[in-house]
Amino acid sequence: MQLVLQLEYTQVAFYQQALRDAGLGGELREFAQTALGHERQHLAAIRKALGAEAGPKPTFDFGTKTRSPDAFRKAAIELEDIAVAGYNGQATNLTKATLAAAADIVSVEARHAAWVRALGGEVAAPDPVDEPMTASQVVAGLQEIGLRTR
Amino acid sequence: MGGETTFNRFLATVDRDGALEEAGAELDLAFSRKRLLGLTAAGAGAVLLARAGVGRAAAGLSATDIGILNYALVLEYLQASFYTEAERSGALSGKTAQAARVVGATERAHVKAFLKLLGSQAVKRPSFDFQGVTEQQRAFLRTAVAFEDLAVAAYKGQAPRLQSDAVLAAAVGIHSVEARHAAWMRELFGITPAVHAFDQPASRGQINRIVASTHFVVAHPDMKGTAKPQYTG
Repeated sequence: MQLVLQLEYTQVAFYQQALRDAGLGGELREFAQTALGHERQHLAAIRKALGAEAGPKPTFDFGTKTRSPDAFRKAAIELEDIAVAGYNGQATNLTKATLAAAADIVSVEARHAAWVRALGGEVAAPDPVDEPMTASQVVAGLQEIGLRTR
Repeated sequence: MGGETTFNRFLATVDRDGALEEAGAELDLAFSRKRLLGLTAAGAGAVLLARAGVGRAAAGLSATDIGILNYALVLEYLQASFYTEAERSGALSGKTAQAARVVGATERAHVKAFLKLLGSQAVKRPSFDFQGVTEQQRAFLRTAVAFEDLAVAAYKGQAPRLQSDAVLAAAVGIHSVEARHAAWMRELFGITPAVHAFDQPASRGQINRIVASTHFVVAHPDMKGTAKPQYTG
């Protein structure tokens, strides 16, 4: 749960900053606004579930990834793919109730990933099965994108 | 029961935000009362999916997991046949044709994976009649959106019921791919790929009723092995 909290914090911060700094227009802007709205709701749900155990908001440095539409689009694909792989990777560690809640979120992350790929004219669903990531792979991926403290 | 009525009810069931109905309102759907009345008994799909729940252990899997895997296999058969037929019809062009090729190959790979996992316990492929929706691009996309959103809800409904961790790990990896497909088809159809912050699951009963309402499943296969039919539809 702390892992997916980090994930959702990172996504919220990433979309917020991109909407401020990346000069997004058209459908890419619509995508970022929609995704931000969803990630905020995910974050709120996870914070509520964790209660007092929820860790503090980390700091971020997204560098140039939130400074141009093209860089934003590429980083958004990476980030959403990490989110999908991160949730999928935890599936067998969760209670059935938590698994059901996570499943409601992970398919929305997958929709974001396909949407932002399609906006660049890419194949939106390149693989037949999504490979999971371990917790440490997810953290490394998030740090690559801009997560600075845990 | 008219063809358009049943199909529209099908769409209404999966189309929670109404975008499909709105975007498709101007479409002349390739459904006719005559074609539908020529089909076999209503509810064949529901019976098929209900029967998919029966089987003895294959490869060390529990009866529960075999039932869920066979249920998923039927949904994958439905999707694979739909995309294959659409590709062959030659009615698709541009990005939609490309998407149908990629997604079709993936759904066929899912079918193969389930067949391998289930071995002799796998249900056979039913016969389908897509009633013309594979022969016109807009009707194809509209149906693809409905199928993919349905698959996402179906996998989501079953994942917490799976008993084997190995099967669960595979199922969640397929579940998220179906969600990517749903978003892709929605984008191509021109509606929002991700409407809600939380996607909702659907129960087997709900899925069975929706699939039956399409009349796309026209014949259910014979069951192999010692499985006893349990008619609930």
